Parts: sequence; C-alpha cells; structure tokens
Amino acid sequence: MSMHDAKPCILVAVELQSGDLHPLALEALQAGSQVAQGINGRMSAAVMGNGTGMAVKRLQGFGLEHVYVVDDPLLDGYQSEHYSAALTAICQSAAPVYILMPNTLTGVDLAPRLAWELDAGLVTDCVAVQNAEDGPVFVKPVYSGNVMAVYRAATCPFLVTLRPRAFAPMQPQNAKTTTIVPVTCTFNPNPRVAQVQHLDAEVQGIRLETAERIVAGGRGMGGSEGFGQLRALADVLGAAIGASRPPCDLGWVAPTAQVGQTGEIVAPGLYIAVGISGSTQHLAGMSGAKTIVAINADPQASIFRVADYGVVGKYEEVIPTFTETLKDMLTEEA
Amino acid sequence: MRIVVCIKQVPDPEGPRDAYFINTANATVEPRGIPPVLSLFDENALEAALRIRDQIPQGSVSVLSIGKRIPNAVMLKALAAGADSLVKVEDESLDASGLDSYITAQVLAAALSKLGFDLIVVGRQAADWNDGQVGIGIARLLDLPSVTLVRSVHLSGHDMEIERVLPQGYEIVRTALPALIMVGGEAGELRYPSMIQRREAKNKPITTWNLIDIGLTTLPAKRVIRQRLFAPELKDRACRMVDGASLAEAGRNLAERLHSDRVV
Repeated sequence: MSMHDAKPCILVAVELQSGDLHPLALEALQAGSQVAQGINGRMSAAVMGNGTGMAVKRLQGFGLEHVYVVDDPLLDGYQSEHYSAALTAICQSAAPVYILMPNTLTGVDLAPRLAWELDAGLVTDCVAVQNAEDGPVFVKPVYSGNVMAVYRAATCPFLVTLRPRAFAPMQPQNAKTTTIVPVTCTFNPNPRVAQVQHLDAEVQGIRLETAERIVAGGRGMGGSEGFGQLRALADVLGAAIGASRPPCDLGWVAPTAQVGQTGEIVAPGLYIAVGISGSTQHLAGMSGAKTIVAINADPQASIFRVADYGVVGKYEEVIPTFTETLKDMLTEEA
Repeated sequence: MRIVVCIKQVPDPEGPRDAYFINTANATVEPRGIPPVLSLFDENALEAALRIRDQIPQGSVSVLSIGKRIPNAVMLKALAAGADSLVKVEDESLDASGLDSYITAQVLAAALSKLGFDLIVVGRQAADWNDGQVGIGIARLLDLPSVTLVRSVHLSGHDMEIERVLPQGYEIVRTALPALIMVGGEAGELRYPSMIQRREAKNKPITTWNLIDIGLTTLPAKRVIRQRLFAPELKDRACRMVDGASLAEAGRNLAERLHSDRVV
C-alpha cells in the first residue's frame, strides 16, 4: 500500500435524482472536502442505484480518490434494507473514518440504519464543519434553532448528515481522475419491509426545492381559500407555493408544501411570507432566502425580525392590489 | 394487540430565544419561564397509535417515557388523549448530559422488552436535540422491522400496510408485527381530549421503574460527544415597513418598492 492510500478516507454518500446526481450531493461534497482538509484525508464518494452511469461520470473532476458504486436493479428507488446493505458493503471496502450524507428524507432513514449497522455515532442535520486540533467538530441547531451544539466523534467511523442549503455546492476542479470501484453486495431476497405501491404526489406548478421565488402562507391564511389568493400572486411571479407547518397539518395545502426544519429547507431569491408568524422551526427552513417580504396582521410577529420588507395588515386587503400592481409592472416589461 | 408509544417532554419549542439558557458546565439547556410540553412528533406518534387502536377494539396503547424525573403533569395529556397507561423509567443517570441516542435506545429497548409489545410507535425526532435515530436503534436492538416517515397504518391480521412519505410522494409498504414505526407531522395532530377524558386520565395506571427494574446495571459508553453549546448569532434584518392610506394602497406601494429596489 502506498503512502497515498494510507490517508484517512472521508466517504460522501450521494443520492440520485432521476438518474443524475442529486443537487444536494454537491453540498455534501463541499462539507466532506472541509473534513478532508482538516485531517489531511482523501474524499471518496458512494453511489447506489439502478443505472448510476450519469452520476458516476459527473463525479469525475471533484478530486475524489474513489467512487464506490453498487449498481443493481434492486436499488431502483430507495428501499431501506437494500440501501443500507449496499452502503455497508461500500464501507467495508472503503474503510472510511467519516461518512457524510445530506439530511434528505432518504438520509433521515439511511444514516441511522448505517450507524447502527457499523456501531458508529451519528450527528444529524449539521450546518457547519469546523476543524479543531483534535479533529473536526460538527455544529447543529438544537432546541428548534435557539441553541447551537458542537459535536465530535466518539467512534470510528463516525456519521454526519448535513442540513440542505447549509453548505455551498462544491465546484468541480480540474483534479486528477477518480478510480471507479464497483462493489458487490448480497441483498436479502425477502426484505422485512416490502414495497406494495408507489404513488407520486401531484405537484401543481413550480417545485419548492428549486424555486427562485416562493409565496408561502401560514396559519393566518385562515383556510384553504386563502391559498387561492396566494396562487394568483405566485402565478404572476412565477413562484412556487410554500407553507408553514399548520396549513399542512390542517390540510389546507399538500404536506409537500411545508417549508421548515422538518419540511423543505429553501434559499430562494425572494420569499414572501403571508400570515406566517415566524416560528423558529419555520425560520430554520427559509431564513437563507436573499430577500424576505412579510405580510402579517400582527405587528409583533417574529417574521418581521427576519424580513427585509413588511406590511402590517390583513392579507386579504393587501394581496389583491399587490398582485395586480406586480402583474401590470411585469407585463409592461415583458 | 399491545401498542407502546415512546414519548418525552421538552421545553416548549416555540418559546422566545432567551428562554433557552445554556449551562456551559455540562452542555445542557435549562429552560427559563417556558412550560414543558409533549415533544411535537411524539404527539403525532400517539395519534398514529390511537388511530390504529380505533381499528381494533381489543387493542391497548401504553406510553413510555424515560428520564431523571418525569412529572406527571405533561404525561397526563397523553393519558387524556386516549393512552391507557403510562410507564416511566426514572433514574438519576438518565440526565440529558449523560445521554445520547445510543444510550437512550438501549434504555427504551430494555423497558420495552419488560413491558411487552406488538407495535412500537415513536416520533421521527425529539423537539430538543432533533437526533432522529432512537427509533431505528430500538428496532435494531430488538431485531424488529422498522418503517420511518409513516403517514398512516392499515392493519390486516398480523400484517400492516403502511403509507410512508417519499421525497416526491408516497409509497405503501407491507411488514409483519411485531414492528416499529417512526412518525412525523403527516400522521396528524393529536386528538383533543374531552373534559371527562381529562378527569379520567388521573385514574389511569402509572408504573414507575428504575434501571435495575428493567435489567440495566450499567449504561454503555456514548457514541457522540457533545462538546459545547452556544447561542446562535442573531441575524435580524432591518425590516423596511411599507404602508399607505389604506391596506390596498400599501399593497400597491409594496409592489412598487420591490420593483424600484430591483427585487422583482
């Protein structure tokens, strides 16, 4: 074994989306490169799926040492048992010191399974990596974002999941080529939890996670009718519809519209919060927006503390003229 | 059918920021002036359990909580909402400064073994430390199938058909009892107890165990070290308030302001 191979391995488990790299994979690579820098290690990636070619190709040029691949028809869509088996097999091959992945719905399921499989510690939902003398520490918001906690590993390997939008996407670099390592894995032919049916949610309009503009409603909307006004505004702006937790729990909008710590974490150019008081768990999901506009009847609402522009008043009276004026201005320009 | 829901009380997560006092000596948080509440997703977990029991007349729902000291006040809410009994594991060593997810799962698994169960329901993560891994740990320790991000459960004999959240929709999975499910907001808000239910809650059975009672003499070593806590930087923005003679005019002014500032 050369000296080069002896460098500790930081393994980043990447997710696929429609056969390509999930956009959050690049953020995880960025976090991984910070860890690698701190401990003078080398970063590798783990790719699992059915048809991984495009993602593996895109992972060239990030200065990765290895890309470990399990490509199998059984990995067509996330399945807990198969994916944790595949990632465990990769870890046996890669012998990583740190394992990182995004805190997506997949990561939320996969990371704890892997941690228990490897007898490893896990810190979830981290927003920063800092390199200290005795190794990296991982910072995560706790107590609904009112306190930050700093964790370090008590096991090797050690797992970390990363909050979406907390790290800048890694830029490809003209680094040396990466070795692709196919890994074989034996799957349980009779998983204890079997998929019966797959239902895609109907998403109307623009998807939240990639939207440049978001119009979001909260409890102050008073019901599903209020969201009709927001849709008209969103149409004018080419924006996606979001919501805080109460409208989702109350069924006024689809649960997939939820922006917040346990919903979608977004960082659009413009976020218009209507009837949203600004609970810490909601702010955790949208405070990364470039410009925040708040419309709320309560002048004391904490949303105004994070907003750039605010109107105090009943949204029913503000939104129609706001929408109409924007429509006129934007059509004039077009 | 015996359903056990693991629950915990936390300081109200919607409290103001300065209500979460940081104890730097042992890296714990001491709430000041905010009431303890049931952790939000644990309420969803209890609701999921109650909805399953609604399908089977002879089912029972127990709630299980561990900690240094567990006051009954918050736990009574679970009993009022419909849980049949409460089991507490109280021990001096079950202090937030001495626990991580690994140890918590060990303690809960030991208590669950003693208690007996067909189905274990837990929240997807607690509102204080947000770790989100205890459920999967319990399932692993008790060798149970586990399903996360559960929205609803339909029982058919000894099998469960479970609707589970996916990034772009839902899937239905099937597994056999005994099993463990982890539940989030999708499972629905906890039902509101009636006055009679509230009164009756006080007469429901409460059992208190310590670690020896559940067969644990020592706790394992932590797998995660919480080094320190700090208060987040406040990134309040300077909010420019827009108004007008009427709210309708304020709406027009807001549009014009955003346009002249090149936001839109």
